[in-house]
This record gives sequence, C-alpha cells and structure tokens, in this order.
Amino acid sequence: MRRRAAIAALLTLLALIVASAAVKAQARSGPVEAVVTDERGKPVADAIVTLTSPGTPAPATPRVTVVMDQHDKEFVPHVLPVYIGTPVSFPNRDNIRHHVYSFSSPKKFELPLYIGTPAAPVLFDKPGVVALGCNIHDWMLAYIYVVTTPYFAKTAADGKGRLDGLAPGTYEARVWQPRMRGGTDKTAQPVTLAAGELAQVAFVVSLKAEWRVPRAPDSYKGAQGS
Amino acid sequence: MRLHSFRSFRGRLVAVFVGLFAVILATCFLVVAVTVRASARHEIGEELRLAGTLFVRQLESRSQQLVAATRLLSGDFALKTAAATADQETTRSVLANHRQRIEADVLMLVSPEGSIAADTRQPGRLGAAFPLSRLLEEADQAGEASRIAVIDGGLYRLAIVPLLAPVPIAWLCAGFAIDDRSAADLRRLTGLHVSFLRRQDSGFTMHASTLDGADRDELQRGLAAARTAGVIKLGGHPHVIRAEPVSDEVLVVLQRPLAEALQPYDSLFTTLLAVGSAGLVLALVGAVAVARRMSRPVRELVRVARQVSAGDFGTAVSVGRRDELGELGTTFNQMLAGLRDRERVRAALARAEGLKRFFSPQLAEILSAGDESVLASHRREITVLFCDLRGFTAFADTADPEEVMRLLRDYHETVGALISRYEGTLERFTGDGLMVFFNDPVPCPDPAARAVRMAIEMRDAVQRLLEEWRRRGHALGFGTGIDMGYATVGRIGFEGRFDYAAIGTVTNLSARLCQEAGDGQILVSQRVYAEVESLVEAVPLGALTLRGFTRPLIAFSLLRLRADGPEARQLSAKDEQPLAREQTG
Repeated sequence: MRRRAAIAALLTLLALIVASAAVKAQARSGPVEAVVTDERGKPVADAIVTLTSPGTPAPATPRVTVVMDQHDKEFVPHVLPVYIGTPVSFPNRDNIRHHVYSFSSPKKFELPLYIGTPAAPVLFDKPGVVALGCNIHDWMLAYIYVVTTPYFAKTAADGKGRLDGLAPGTYEARVWQPRMRGGTDKTAQPVTLAAGELAQVAFVVSLKAEWRVPRAPDSYKGAQGS
Repeated sequence: MRLHSFRSFRGRLVAVFVGLFAVILATCFLVVAVTVRASARHEIGEELRLAGTLFVRQLESRSQQLVAATRLLSGDFALKTAAATADQETTRSVLANHRQRIEADVLMLVSPEGSIAADTRQPGRLGAAFPLSRLLEEADQAGEASRIAVIDGGLYRLAIVPLLAPVPIAWLCAGFAIDDRSAADLRRLTGLHVSFLRRQDSGFTMHASTLDGADRDELQRGLAAARTAGVIKLGGHPHVIRAEPVSDEVLVVLQRPLAEALQPYDSLFTTLLAVGSAGLVLALVGAVAVARRMSRPVRELVRVARQVSAGDFGTAVSVGRRDELGELGTTFNQMLAGLRDRERVRAALARAEGLKRFFSPQLAEILSAGDESVLASHRREITVLFCDLRGFTAFADTADPEEVMRLLRDYHETVGALISRYEGTLERFTGDGLMVFFNDPVPCPDPAARAVRMAIEMRDAVQRLLEEWRRRGHALGFGTGIDMGYATVGRIGFEGRFDYAAIGTVTNLSARLCQEAGDGQILVSQRVYAEVESLVEAVPLGALTLRGFTRPLIAFSLLRLRADGPEARQLSAKDEQPLAREQTG
C-alpha cells in the first residue's frame, strides 16, 4: 500500500511541476531594468523599485526568511526590501552584543543585548519603512522596507536594478530611497511589459542630506592605558 | 621791603618768575589731564570691548556645554522609547525627570513638523507651533542648534538636538533660564554689571540684570540713544557700557561706573596736583630768594644815589660781585669819585672867587690852593706904598653923595688896575687912601722898583683923573709915600674878622711920608731911593721930622723915570728906529 501512495505522490508532484513550469513558461516576459538617478544624474544606490499591478492581488508567494546581518558593528545590508509577511532574522556575527530596536510604526520591536542569533526571526507583517538602530552603537542604522508586492529590486551602486519573472501587462512602478524627498506614491509611473522585451523604467529622485552619527573610534587605538 | 607791592622791582621779579612757572605748570597739567583723560577713556573702552568679547565667548562656551548635556540626554533609550511609543503623561513625566538630570528649566519635545509634542511647562502647550522654527531648520542642517532666545516672554538659553531612534523622530529642546541669578553668576566672571535686553520695535525690554530698580529702567530707556559702546547716566553717575549681540534680538550689556574705572587716573591727577603745588611753592621761595639777591645791589645803588643827591659825596657802593651789577657798582663809585673831585674843585674855585673879592688875588690864590701857612706871622723885607687923595674930606662934605661915590669908583678903578698889573698886595682900603706892599705873600725880585714905577704911573693916571674934577672947582690932590724894610706879616684879628697885615716901622714911615706928600708928590725914603737911583730922577728933600720918629729922616721926591733908565733906553730904542729910518730914507 505504501508503495502505491508514494508513486502517486511522486506523479502528482511531477504533474504539478510540469504544470507550474507550463504556467511559468506562459507568464514570463522580458526583464525590467530600472535606473534611479538624482537630479544631477548621479546614480542612486539602495533605491527600492517596486512594480505593482493595481487591481490584481499579489500572488501568494512562499516567504523565505531573510537575514539582516550585523557585522563589525554595522547592519548589513543598509536597506533590505522584504515582501510583506517575511520573517527577518538578525544574526549577530560580532563578538560583542548588540541591542537592535525599532520604533517605526510598521514594526516596533527590540532585541535587547544579545549575541549570536536570536531564537525566532521577527515577522514584518505591515507595509512601510522600518528604521533599525542599535541602542549601544548610535551609528548603526538600517532600513527594512516592507513592500506589498513580490516584484521589487534594489539598485546597486550604478543605480540600476533588475526585475524578473513578471508577466506581460501594465504595472505601476514606484521607487523608495531612505533619503528621498517626498512620498513613494508620488513616484508612481506606469510601465508596460511586453513579452520577450526588455522594459526600462527610470526614476529621478531628489535626495536630502542624511545626517549620520559618526562611528566611534575603537577605544584601544591611541588610548594611553587605563 | 615792599615784597607785596607789584610796583617794586623785586615784587615784579617774583611775580614774573612765579607767574611763568605757574603758566608752564598749568599748561603741562592741562595737557597731561586732557591726554590722560582721553587715554583713560580709550583704555576703559578697550577694556570693556575685550570684556565683552570674552563674555560672549564664555556664553557660547556655556551654550556648547548645555548642548552637549542635552545631546547626552537625547541618547537615553527610555526617553526614546517613551517619545516613540508612550502616552502623553508618561512622556511628560520622563521629560520632567530628565530635565532635572541636566538642571534645565524647561524641556520640550518638538515633532519633526515643528509642533510641540510635550512640554515640562504648562501642560496646555501641546500642539502649538514651536516658536522658533528657524532654530529647528538650523538644527536640521547642522545636527544641533543653540540660541539665546525669548520663549513666551522668558529669556532662555536653548539647546536643540535631534532625538535619534535611530532616525530623528523628534527634537529635544532644553531651555536654561537667564534671570537675575544667572546674571549675578556671570558678573563674577568679569566684575562688570551684566544686563540682558531684547530689542523690539518700541525699544528695549530688560530680561535679566545685576542692576537694581531704577537703574534697570534707566538702562532700558537710555540704551536706545547710546551706541554699541558709550556712556550712559544711571542714577546720576556716568557708566561706561558695551553692548554685544548674542542673537538677533538679544544683546548683553556690560557696564562699569566711570568713576570706578577712572579711579586710578584720579589718584594720578591728585599726585600730579600735589607735585605741582609743591613745585609752585618751591618756585615761589626760589623766586623770592633770587629776586632779593638781584635787587640788593640795585637797592644799594639807590641808597647811595639818594645820599649823593642830598650832597654827600663821601659814600660808596659796596661791590661784592663780578657780574654786570658789580661792574655797575664799580662804575658808580668811579663816577662818585669824579663827582667828589669836581665838587672839591668847584668848592675851591668858589672859595677862591669868594676870597678874591676880599683878599688880594695872590693871597686868594694861595689860600684857595689850600696853603694857609702864609697866614701865620712871618718876617719879610717888604716895600710899602701909601697913597691918598688930598682934600677929599672937604670934597666929601660939599659934594653930592653921588659925586663922591663916582669919584671914589673912578679912583679905585684906576689905582686898582695898576695894583693888579704890578702885582702888589693891596693890604687895605681906607676910603680915599690905600696901602700896597710888595714881596709878600708872593716874593718878587724887584719890589722897590715895582713900587716906584707903580707910584709914578698912579700919579700920572690920577692926575689926569683929578683934572676933570678940578675943572669943576674941587680942590683935590694925590700924594704917595714909599718905604722899604722888615715887617711882621700875617693874619691879625679875631674869629670872624681877619685881616692880612704887615706890622712894622716900614708901614709907619711910608704912611708918614704919604701924609707929608703934597699933591702930585711921591716921597720915598733913603733906602728906597738907594734901590731905585738908577731908575728915577729925584729931588732930595733933606731930613724930615716926622711924627712918631725920634730922628729926622732923609726923604726924596720922585719926579719922573730917568730918560736913560732901562725903560727910557727901551723907549729911546723905539725912538731911534724911526730916526734911523729917516737917516736912510
């Protein structure tokens, strides 16, 4: 009996795979390349470009736990886009403790002085910007941008980001950057994706100066004994 | 010693000297006073300017400290948590607690939009816009801001820092009140009075000060008129002020009473005045001493000159110095000596003149030369001549007095001239008669010859004179007697009336001979005749008996000078010359 069930499961799985592959083959269009520059034309890094199709509900994509790392007393990455409902883990790779916190309304949480990896990841289930800090290292700053669409990309240092796996159609593209002036909704622009074509979307954002707390020098360097 | 009279030389000297010194001193004092005063004002202004600059720096430094304290406060996790998550009450109580930590007077949370989210002051402030939006902008730019500003009528030192969690979620604003107490604390820094004022359209408002009551109001009112630095009168006393702006509206005024600042200079003035006065007194003393020294020889000269003008030539100026005044004294003495000599000469001359009128000229001259030895009795062989007018008494009885005097005058003039020419000593007048002797007081070599020549000339002259009178009917004649011999000659008489007389037989005999002589007769004694025999032609009269003489004496009557006498030879020589000429011609 057991043998039969196993074969059936295997066949179902195979069918599903084929079906999804077919579905996938059907939905795939060309990649979208997004370019984000500032008013002077310089590329803007750490910008999150999202594509949403209004009216169509977001597909239920399985969430994978994402990592916001802490290394050498810095958050890595500085900006982390996550699909709403994604758990985020905060491993502490330093040999000192950190106290991670956020007071942002999408997620208020605190991981008081810990080392290693906390037991459970933190679930980000509300959209918006979450600013993270470390209580004992004033300069540590990171953003978790919780988006309502699985279609997003973060621009690299060259200001470019690439989105894949979208079905052809018309979408609304938005951009968000931590230093951006103005709200993300104002950046909405429509993008039409055709099958097999590379779509391009460009954003020009105005950035304000971000005042960061300077990193404190290591206490041993230059200290005259204690 | 008229020291106080300005007319006196010494007084003038002192006045000039002291006056000059006083003028110099006053000028110096004035110059110093003006310069020092100006310098003092400048110094004080500079001092105040420096104090003002330091003060403002000090304020800034304090503000920086407060900003640092506020920043420290903003790192507090509990505060962050409360600000981000807690309710209003909790947040305010956290603020109240933390306010105490930094000893602030007010602590506020301001939303990023600029409205007051929490406030330790009156609770009802919520939602109101933070009054200093510019300050928030500044904090946004620079990450912090501090300002001395007025909030709701109160003066505060404000410090604004962002509340980072980790991005700015609010502004934390701490306020430290600036009131009289803090002004007093600040006063300890510089020792100057401190006042904080706010500039408004209507003028200035005083918020804190170390001054009291009326002075505060006066400063408030007076500041508008004064410039950044100047002098203001508070309570009647001038104060030096310096106003430094600490923000757009607020300025701090530092001040100091001018009198206090000028005090060291005042003591300088007092010292100067004392030194000057002492100098003046010394100058006065010195001037008096110098003036006395200088005027003494002058006064000496004046004194001696006065004596000289009074007639005393015997004084002299004492000369004790070698300078010009000494020279003056020496010259003065020389002049005096000259005057003395001249005076002596004049007196001598006067005496001589005076004497000459009464004495024979020769006697007068000898006496005026100062030789009075001649007046002492001495024996000398003299020739005495007596002569007088015959019939004079009868004439004097009958004639008018004017006629008598006229006759006498003419007669005296005639015989007087001859006596002067022959240098005989006229011993006396007796109206119409006179006595002349020769060889005394001035010796002469040929007294008898002189007497005889004079007698002959006198007879001739008087005869001519009497001719006129005789024609008028007067019987007048002239007789002469001459004798020679030793006599005692000298001054006889008594104090007040002296005569120079010759006493002896010779005098008596010549007088008797004169009496014996008739009109136009010249009777001479034998001795005289023996002397002049070669000169004259004479007729012997034999022995005459004369009263007073026991024996009869031989007398001669002189007729004329001999034709072959020395005069005649002289005369004939003159006569021969024309003769010789005739012979040749």
